[in-house]
Amino acid sequence: MPRRVKAQVVVIGGGPAGMASALAAFENGARPVFLLERGEYLGGILNQCIHPGFGLHLFGEELTGPEYAERFKEKLSRTQVEVLLNTTVLEITPQRIVRAVNPQGVWEFETTRAVLSMGCRERTRGMLRLPGTRPAGIFTAGLAQYLVNIEGLLPGKEVLILGSGDIGLIMARRLTLEGATVKAVVEVRDSLSGLLRNYVQCLHDFNIPLWLSHTVTTIQGKERVEGVVVSRVDEGGRAIPGSERVVPCDTLLLSVGLIPENELSRQASIPLCPRTGGPVINEYFACEREGFFACGNVVGVFDLVDYVTLVSQGVGEAVNIPTAFSPAKYHLVPGDGVSLVIPQKIQEGKKGFLFLRSLQSFRQAAVSFSFQGKEFHKLRVPLCYPSEMIRLNIQDIPWPSQGGEIRIGITGERIRGIY
Amino acid sequence: MEPVFDVIIVGGGVVGCAVAWYLSHFDLRVVLLEKERDVCCGVSKANTGVIHSRSYFTPHTLKGELHLRSLELFPSLERELDFHCHKVGALTIAFSLHDLQYLNTLKERGKNPHAEIIGPQELKELEPLVNPEVIACYYDPETKVVSPFLLTLALAEFAVLNGVEFIFFTEVLGFEETRDALSVQTNRGVYRARVAINCTGIHATSLAQKTGETIPLHRLYRGQYFVLDRDCQSLVKHVLYPVPTVGSKGILVTPTPEGNILVGPNFELIPEEDTATTKIGLEEVERGGGRLVPSLPLHKTITTFSGIRPTLPDRDFRIFFSLRFPRLLHLCGIESPGLTASLGIAEYVGEQIQKTGILFREKKVAPRVSFPVFRTASWEEREKLIAQDPDWGDIVCRCEEVTLAEIKHALSSCLPASTLDGLKRRVRVMAGRCQGSFCGMHLPDILMGKSLQKREAIMKSGEKSWYCLDTIGRAETENASTR
Ligand SMILES: Cc1cc2nc3c(=O)[nH]c(=O)nc-3n(C[C@H](O)[C@H](O)[C@H](O)COP(=O)(O)OP(=O)(O)OC[C@H]3O[C@@H](n4cnc5c(N)ncnc54)[C@H](O)[C@@H]3O)c2cc1C
Ligand SMILES: Cc1cc2nc3c(=O)[nH]c(=O)nc-3n(C[C@H](O)[C@H](O)[C@H](O)COP(=O)(O)OP(=O)(O)OC[C@H]3O[C@@H](n4cnc5c(N)ncnc54)[C@H](O)[C@@H]3O)c2cc1C
Repeated sequence: MPRRVKAQVVVIGGGPAGMASALAAFENGARPVFLLERGEYLGGILNQCIHPGFGLHLFGEELTGPEYAERFKEKLSRTQVEVLLNTTVLEITPQRIVRAVNPQGVWEFETTRAVLSMGCRERTRGMLRLPGTRPAGIFTAGLAQYLVNIEGLLPGKEVLILGSGDIGLIMARRLTLEGATVKAVVEVRDSLSGLLRNYVQCLHDFNIPLWLSHTVTTIQGKERVEGVVVSRVDEGGRAIPGSERVVPCDTLLLSVGLIPENELSRQASIPLCPRTGGPVINEYFACEREGFFACGNVVGVFDLVDYVTLVSQGVGEAVNIPTAFSPAKYHLVPGDGVSLVIPQKIQEGKKGFLFLRSLQSFRQAAVSFSFQGKEFHKLRVPLCYPSEMIRLNIQDIPWPSQGGEIRIGITGERIRGIY
Repeated sequence: MEPVFDVIIVGGGVVGCAVAWYLSHFDLRVVLLEKERDVCCGVSKANTGVIHSRSYFTPHTLKGELHLRSLELFPSLERELDFHCHKVGALTIAFSLHDLQYLNTLKERGKNPHAEIIGPQELKELEPLVNPEVIACYYDPETKVVSPFLLTLALAEFAVLNGVEFIFFTEVLGFEETRDALSVQTNRGVYRARVAINCTGIHATSLAQKTGETIPLHRLYRGQYFVLDRDCQSLVKHVLYPVPTVGSKGILVTPTPEGNILVGPNFELIPEEDTATTKIGLEEVERGGGRLVPSLPLHKTITTFSGIRPTLPDRDFRIFFSLRFPRLLHLCGIESPGLTASLGIAEYVGEQIQKTGILFREKKVAPRVSFPVFRTASWEEREKLIAQDPDWGDIVCRCEEVTLAEIKHALSSCLPASTLDGLKRRVRVMAGRCQGSFCGMHLPDILMGKSLQKREAIMKSGEKSWYCLDTIGRAETENASTR
């Protein structure tokens, strides 16, 4: 017989988002609280991020990923939050029945509140539809990071990295330190995708070239990667015929973006936002289905773990707020220059954070809020990069008295190149 | 002197394995030699996986004859191998009056009272996303789909259970006639047999030519595919065929038994064996698929692949004894529908072997029992499995929900996986939407235990397909965390 358990809160995924929301829910009086994690340890992605750069905003010091995670694990161990490790959630029904398995058996939780914090996964070669042969030696950057940092394996010796996202940049340095040669980081856009500080510390300081407006068009090699064809691209991102050159290498690392992991959310009939790939949420991080919350990378890809922790703590509080699922007054939509807006819905405009990501890099930028085609609020931002989220306090924005659709745009002077 | 086998099968694709399956019913000493590390590393793993029904057979050819015979053999095979073909049915889509004629031909060939030609309205109910420009369509309920790898593996496992020996990494280089046997030369020594069967797929013709046969050169036609994410599963439920153009059955949209959708293949002449996919080829497939289903979500692609057809000028199978080596049987031009026809081919090959005077005495065979699949098991079954063995509760691959128990079984069964590809094709780790970016983290440990030195030995497929190229000392890894 499956183990049947009644719960007030079940948190799915034990990364930074799940840990913070389970803790906060417990501290706010929810009982019992379950935290389900399929891995052997709590911490999610943090466990493999052994570089410093975590916790500056929250703790005022630079921690490594595992150190950051440790603070929360330690706190959790002093509560009665029931942590189940090696436990994979396989099904969530719209009525909040959560089914999971672990080596003890099948578990069935009936819960009043379910918190989705499953994180995200990496985009793959298949999604890019990158043609060529199918040899060994093609890795997503996060997988390579795990193999190096946790398994002690060196994926390759002559490496080309596609995509200038942060994981790719960090891996360029990591592999170089382990004795591999990183031939180049290739980026299809005309500007850097990751953080400037990562470019400086991971590429520039190691003399690793960054080729902007280039892409990989074919993979070569029968058994192991032997080389890739790199082409220049035009303004529209299309490869320019005649610009191809073969770069010999034994490994291709892909750092081409992350996708929120929402197969379970879909099963539970939770409405998803086509822009973020995550659930549509309001300022309480409540989904558009009674009893469900979502936090962390499952909602949309966050840049800093500190923000993930912050919003997840908010979720822990919100599980006890009866009005969290009341109808929203404002519907926020990304306008020109904006790639992502979280949350998408707002009830009152009195609490919580608003996160924005720009589509491109801008100098002397302005964020503008408009309602019925008229701008009602404008905010100056000296520099904005797609890699860095803009975080605003929702209560600082003079929301219109009437409800409806609010369009948020970003304009400014386009930055091309690295900075 | 080496022992003399009754039969040596050269090549472990679906045809070689079907021959092994067939021969394992008789009291014969049979060995199969395969140059790769596993069965089904050639064309048999890279095709559409459709068991084409009677409606699609080619009359007045050996190909057609063996196709029909195979269809008769499938039901009992499914019981014997504990293997399930998925009867999804097919729709052949007509866009013009000319196409319509072809639908009538199919109906005549099918001789199936349940098959029918239906109009756009009915079609829309069956497959709402099909191109609205369709004027009619032939509905054939008999068409099935299989995982071609799992079918080949099931045939091979049955053969192993019933006494056929499989030897890998052994490439046949040539033949020599001795007084009492045919000697088969390989890169790893000589094997002797009373009869040898050349089932080497696209290499069959060149091997035949090496033995001095005058057989026209085959041409190689590549077919490329997209594989779409399982969450597109509900979009297309039947095999969708266009009306064929010259050369091939055209670009299909096909549901797979695992719940993915395949789009392809195109039909492109290539100068030499090359299973790469190309931008141009994939664009052609995109257009072909889009003609059948305009809203095909190709952005949901999880991978692309290609397979190669060895086609003879007359487009038929050619199965014949070598003139120079009367104990050597060649199977050339086994192109589509070679997967469907494989059982018929095997029986036919058996009959040819009997003609050489080898006695076929039937023996009692052990049935094959398939191993449970966690993903498709009910919650009650899952609970029972975990109670038997906790490894059933340890999910290693999240996309395809593959458990440690299934992986361990695949690594220790009667034809165990020895490469990552072998594991992937058996249990579908790394075959889902993340293509191994998660389970790829844990597989090295599972495959090699905790012993670091051996890790470089993990291979994707062939001898030089190392998964990782080196190791990093544990101590060094820990130091690095403070860098
Ligand atoms: C390479 C890399 C470098 C980074 N560098 C920095 C940095 O320098 N500074 C910084 O501030 N941030 C950094 N980040 C970002 C930060 O790590 C993430 O924002 C944060 O980890 C997201 O937390 P999360 O809990 O939403 O997701 P995750 O950490 O991904 O956690 C999700 C958890 O859910 C579990 N899970 C998922 N599905 C299920 C299921 N069905 N059943 C059970 N459990 C499940 C997973 O196993 C995982 O443990 C980096 C991220 C990466 C990938
Ligand atoms: C694009 C495409 C789509 C198709 N779709 C379908 C379909 O939907 N339905 C259908 O019925 N059929 C289909 N077919 C046809 C079918 O896939 C083939 O006819 C069938 O798989 C051929 O099997 P085989 O065993 O002859 O060849 P292979 O699978 O290629 O097996 C030959 C084996 O011999 C080994 N070998 C080669 N040389 C040597 C040597 N010298 N020594 C030892 N071993 C050697 C190879 O490694 C290989 O394992 C399709 C084919 C293609 C290309």
